[in-house]
Amino acid sequence: MPEVLQRLAARQTTALLLILGVAVYTVFFAAVPARLDLSISTAVYALLALSVALIYGQAGVLSVAQAGFAAVGAYATAILTTRWDIPPLISLFAAILLPALLGFLLSRVVGSLSHLSLAVATLVFGEIVTIVLREGGTLTGGYVGLSGIPGLAFAPDLLAYHLLAWGVVIVVVILCSNLITTTRGRAYQTIGHDPLRAEADGINVPKSTALLFGCSAGLAGLAGWLYAHYMTFLAPESLPASLSITVVLMVVVGGRRHIAGAIVGTILLVALQNAMPTEESQGLLYGAVLVLVLIAAPDGLVGLVNWWRDRRRRAARPIIPEPTAQEV
Amino acid sequence: MLTAEDISISFGGVPALQGVSVTLERGQIRGVIGPNGSGKSTLFNCLTGFIRPDTGTVAIDGRDISTAAPHERITLGIGRTFQTPRFDPKADVWQALACGFYPATARSITASALRLPSARRAERRVETGVGELLERFNLTAQADQPVGELPLGTVRLVEVARAMATSPGFLLLDEPAAGLTEDEQQLLAGQITALAQADIGVLLVEHNFDLVVGLSDEITVLANGTCLVEGLPGDVAADSRVRSVYLGLDAEEAVDGERERQVWADDDPARD
Repeated sequence: MPEVLQRLAARQTTALLLILGVAVYTVFFAAVPARLDLSISTAVYALLALSVALIYGQAGVLSVAQAGFAAVGAYATAILTTRWDIPPLISLFAAILLPALLGFLLSRVVGSLSHLSLAVATLVFGEIVTIVLREGGTLTGGYVGLSGIPGLAFAPDLLAYHLLAWGVVIVVVILCSNLITTTRGRAYQTIGHDPLRAEADGINVPKSTALLFGCSAGLAGLAGWLYAHYMTFLAPESLPASLSITVVLMVVVGGRRHIAGAIVGTILLVALQNAMPTEESQGLLYGAVLVLVLIAAPDGLVGLVNWWRDRRRRAARPIIPEPTAQEV
Repeated sequence: MLTAEDISISFGGVPALQGVSVTLERGQIRGVIGPNGSGKSTLFNCLTGFIRPDTGTVAIDGRDISTAAPHERITLGIGRTFQTPRFDPKADVWQALACGFYPATARSITASALRLPSARRAERRVETGVGELLERFNLTAQADQPVGELPLGTVRLVEVARAMATSPGFLLLDEPAAGLTEDEQQLLAGQITALAQADIGVLLVEHNFDLVVGLSDEITVLANGTCLVEGLPGDVAADSRVRSVYLGLDAEEAVDGERERQVWADDDPARD
């Protein structure tokens, strides 16, 4: 295989595996509506998880506002399509750009806070979004919400919507995998590890972080767009703040530093959630899984797999001399 | 020429630097030494922009850069290292060096995510650039080793190489020899000399008196936030005031000197 293709395959392993997985799933469950429905909501979760993996996994900024950004995107497309009959493909721009702008501004305003304060600030932002949607009068439909959001003409049935949703996820995975292997991506990894070090590399940390935050919020808005046109109905609690926390959990469980981690975490938690009998037991499940993963694999499941692979690879190599006590 | 003129700064009313000036020419190695609390680190941070002085200016070739942010000074040609190496222990040497190429090769998020031709070209530049750095600093064999698994001497070399990625005109090293073994110090000294020969101005802020005297073209000695002596290494080493403040050898100030030495000894990383 030519080197270019080898490199491409190495960079896009996650996307390739995902394409394979979606193909197999589609072959098995193409005729089972409940399975397709589950798959579509999983794809929405996966997009939200990817938005967390970008800003938290790469730049180390914990955002607990992703469901809020998704709600902004969902309401933007819902209002534009129901009130002004704008086609969903046009309102898609608003659904991405409006949350992106809000995310950029939010990051510029609260970006200098410490990690924990920043996370709390984003959580508060998510709550504010919910309140604004609830109190938005006729524009947002208040407590009742908005109904009659048109479906997508090019994805009329469940199967088509399932393929569309996962197609979007795969494109996003490809773009993210591209980004993190460039200088720009390495810059974000440096910011995530040590902002002072990033300054010494010549990186404008607040501005770079705000731009990535904007992208992450825009990605959440895209998830909201997919959600709105699938459900055709929106209420202030459709995308609640608790969802923001759930997707952060998915990313941490899967491995926040890896793009594949967002996908693995999403699929695992959705599967476990479906295996649980009642909704009340979900909190128990999330808590238990999180504690288990943080103890057994602090870098998530994908991190654990990578660690295992590196260890096996290194065992095949000559031993590196250990630094002496003096050197340490 | 990198100049800092008449730098003064105080923290909470306590003066850290009072009217200190220092110049660094391309191809020159200047050592900055002084006991703990003499203002070495503060001066270093003023030059790199991490601290803004109350008064005084910092300039490159006559161009005032006093208001430039730290990241802007990197692109203006001032590279720096940290006293405690800051690195991601899981990243390998190749990746650590690649990070240094940010100012020249970072493309927009969109261009990078779409891998547009500009981003692909930039990545190829990073690859050749890292290859050259690895060779220049004899790190090729360690290219795929995680930085966290390397001995401290090699980590310092990686840090210096990372700062050199932007081809700065001036390189500021914050206590590069701290914690290194004798052999590692020699290796680092060799690299520093080679950098100066390549027409780079090197500023050494160091605890290690012998290393600074051996390497520097000129030495600035700070004490209590002021410039005590400035001159050639031989003269500085022989200066009675330096010996008094730094080594505590002056009989008249035996008590003060002893205290200085005590402070000094407590802080000497070589004895850790």
